[in-house]
Amino acid sequence: MNANEFDVIIIGGGITGAGTQRDCAMRGLRTLLIERSDIATGATGRNHGLLHSGARYAVNDPESAEECIRENMILRRIASHCIDETDGLFITLPEDDLGYQQTFVEACRKAGINAEIIDPDLARRMEPSVNPELIGAVKVPDGSVDPFRLCAANMLDAKLRGGQVRLQTEVTGFIREGNVIKGVHTLNHQTGETADYYAPVTVNACGIWGQHIVELAGVKVGMYPAKGALLIFAHRVNNVVINRCRKPSNADILVPGDTVCVIGTTSTRIPFEECDSVAVTPDEVTLLITEGAKLAPSLSSTRILRAYAGVRPLVSADDDPTGRNISRGIVCLDHETRDGLKGFITITGGKLMTYRLMAEMATDAVCRKLGVEKACQTAEIPLPGSEEKSFEAVAQKIWENPTMAQKAAVSRMGTRAARIRTGNKRDDALICECEEVSVGEINAAIDRLEVSTLTDLRRRTRVGMGTCQGEFCACRAAALLAKAHGCVERERADLEDFLQERWKGNFPIGWGDTLREAEYTQWVYKHVLGL
Amino acid sequence: MKFDSVIIGGGLSGMVAGITLQKAGQNTAIISTGQNALHFFSGSFESLKEPGQRILDLFAEAGVRLHYSPGLWLTPLGTFKESALSLEDIDLFPERKFARKVLIVNFLGYHDFFSSFLAEGLEKQGMSCRVRFLNLPELEKLEQSPSEMRSVQIARTMDRLWEKVVQEVRVLLKDEDAVVLPQVFGLQDTSVPGRIRQGIPARVIFAGTLPPSVPGIRTQILLKQRYQLLGGTYMMGDEVVRAHVHDGVVHSVATKNLDSHYLEAANFILSTGGYFSKGLISNPFQVYEPVFGLDVEYKEDRNQWYNPAFKEDQPYMHFGVKADENLRALQDGKPLQNLYVAGSVLGDTRPEFGTAAGQAIRTALHAADQILKK
Repeated sequence: MNANEFDVIIIGGGITGAGTQRDCAMRGLRTLLIERSDIATGATGRNHGLLHSGARYAVNDPESAEECIRENMILRRIASHCIDETDGLFITLPEDDLGYQQTFVEACRKAGINAEIIDPDLARRMEPSVNPELIGAVKVPDGSVDPFRLCAANMLDAKLRGGQVRLQTEVTGFIREGNVIKGVHTLNHQTGETADYYAPVTVNACGIWGQHIVELAGVKVGMYPAKGALLIFAHRVNNVVINRCRKPSNADILVPGDTVCVIGTTSTRIPFEECDSVAVTPDEVTLLITEGAKLAPSLSSTRILRAYAGVRPLVSADDDPTGRNISRGIVCLDHETRDGLKGFITITGGKLMTYRLMAEMATDAVCRKLGVEKACQTAEIPLPGSEEKSFEAVAQKIWENPTMAQKAAVSRMGTRAARIRTGNKRDDALICECEEVSVGEINAAIDRLEVSTLTDLRRRTRVGMGTCQGEFCACRAAALLAKAHGCVERERADLEDFLQERWKGNFPIGWGDTLREAEYTQWVYKHVLGL
Repeated sequence: MKFDSVIIGGGLSGMVAGITLQKAGQNTAIISTGQNALHFFSGSFESLKEPGQRILDLFAEAGVRLHYSPGLWLTPLGTFKESALSLEDIDLFPERKFARKVLIVNFLGYHDFFSSFLAEGLEKQGMSCRVRFLNLPELEKLEQSPSEMRSVQIARTMDRLWEKVVQEVRVLLKDEDAVVLPQVFGLQDTSVPGRIRQGIPARVIFAGTLPPSVPGIRTQILLKQRYQLLGGTYMMGDEVVRAHVHDGVVHSVATKNLDSHYLEAANFILSTGGYFSKGLISNPFQVYEPVFGLDVEYKEDRNQWYNPAFKEDQPYMHFGVKADENLRALQDGKPLQNLYVAGSVLGDTRPEFGTAAGQAIRTALHAADQILKK
């Protein structure tokens, strides 16, 4: 078999692509995933990281709500190391209509979501940071999910099952014979090399950028890019997800995740040209803080770490000739039946937490085309790292007396943390003190998780995500990367890119301690280190 | 408590002013929160192109040895920057290629000294490099704790261990004509860098590490000692919480630690630093000076505070407290009669005094001179 031939090519290294590759690989297909930059760089890594219970959609979109609660329960089983089972509250504030609570709870129950009205006093005890003025509270099974970890674990499992991954590689065109897609032309942005890959089926899982991919294939899908802005706070202010019990609106969800918490989001339609460079505006920042403080008043005095925005890949109804899939949010298009183009599927819409279902739908479509009859097992077989549920237990299984840093590593890598070299002081030395990331964990990520830049490393290990925003650890990690890749020159440019990327999320909220830190970083890198 | 002058802020600027005033016979106090820009000093005064004898003497009398020799210094990431004046243990080279062959020596397990970046940078200039790691059993204690292998901790050990490093380097040295070592020597015992140079049969260059900067902290210690030997009162770990101002004159300030004892003085100097040192504070709506509420020059539209490109000049770094021609602080557009401003709290509002360390020293001397002229 030719090394450039596969059963299926998946374009897009977000959670949908990674999930689809895993599902295809589990059904015995030879898979190739192609991503133009790094994993989880699009909408996958630019959202709340909320493991929806579905309650948010229960009143207006019961189908999505049912989908969410089903997937919520599945992900708790198969992706436990990526998930924090925090629970969630839907609070009613004095200015909200308390009557909505009953409608909300009934809709939740109808969708199969365990929604329980609790006494406001109990809510205040359950989540001390919640706005004490609340007049009503409903408890739901919300949680939080780390999208980078989830994406990396799916891709890793696909690789364990023989799948191949090409990061930093862009699809530049399709290999087409008549009305059949036979493969893709690609360009590697790092090496400048071009390559052709062949497969009887290609899956477009590029989120909003899928618009560009379908155009390359010569078909039309009407997408609707909707920007959502979010803020990350430097502390985990809340331990329970806090939502507003009212019709979904701006900035009404506060999600705890790892050492931080995230408030969002807004929703604004933007032109396609802006999808690659979405920026958060001062007005959006003001709105997010003002509304966020209504959920948890202490947010108004908590340091903001970063502002960021993602683009939801919504598909506009009027352009979809079938119109069937709109209400569900997930859109799976077989371009053979839709446009007469064989060997090409688009999977888009949906949500981070329904990625597995999207992958199942796409893989079912692939299997139908290839005549493969094997049932989907992604809802039963845990992801690598998630074989055990409690990370404390995992840490103790690997190390007799785990240190804080080792526990932190297990919380990031699950049972895969056993692959980290440890037990000697050189590997245990800390590179990132804010997030307790060791030399061993960084080297394990470089070797096993397809890391080529500092930003890639950040997505996989949280290096540089803490309060110092990479001031110290960026340099240390750069030296480890330079050693692993044997190239210092490339690492210099990488370090500059990393600092630029951090600044991009810092300047929209550049005041107070964030500005102090920024001034310090400017001084250290420009005047002291001589970058 | 009554002083001739009270200086708020104990960094380079505050100490230069304090030393100058004490030397002229004044009785002064410095109130310092404890951290200042010397803790991340590169060791080279890029901004002092023409230092003048007065500045050289001031440092020499404090035991801070400087050398003046316009040239280039080697940065921690292996690039070169122009400078004319530096601490004695920071070399200034006439040209980038300062040797034929270079031995770069790091400590095993030390991640804050970038030997691979240095090697690549020097090789670019035509010097062949060899990187070696010292494995000193005495450093093992530091390595036990995953975050202890940092510059100052190593430097404390090196005040005792430097001779061992000299011996190890002698063994490693082949035909190299230069050796690069991290700047972790001479924190307390300032003679150590010179003695290392005498002990190794090649040119020894000390290259920087990640902050905190050992040469910077050494400079801070020496200047503070000099100030105290001249009779100055250095209040460490304290900060001003209130100021009493009447009719354009500052009468006294109160500090956190000495809450009920007001510090009275005929003159005051504000040298509280920039944002990092909290001399300037920003919120989403303004940049302000927290002690006296002085006039600050800044842009009202926050969108104009930043350049989205990290490497470009950042407008917010130019904002600063406004002062008149004699460096008297402005409040509501009028100068306060006895409050002078020095150092980076001025931002870039007075470019004639230079930038960075140059600005800190020149404005401190100018402010002290104004007070002494009175």
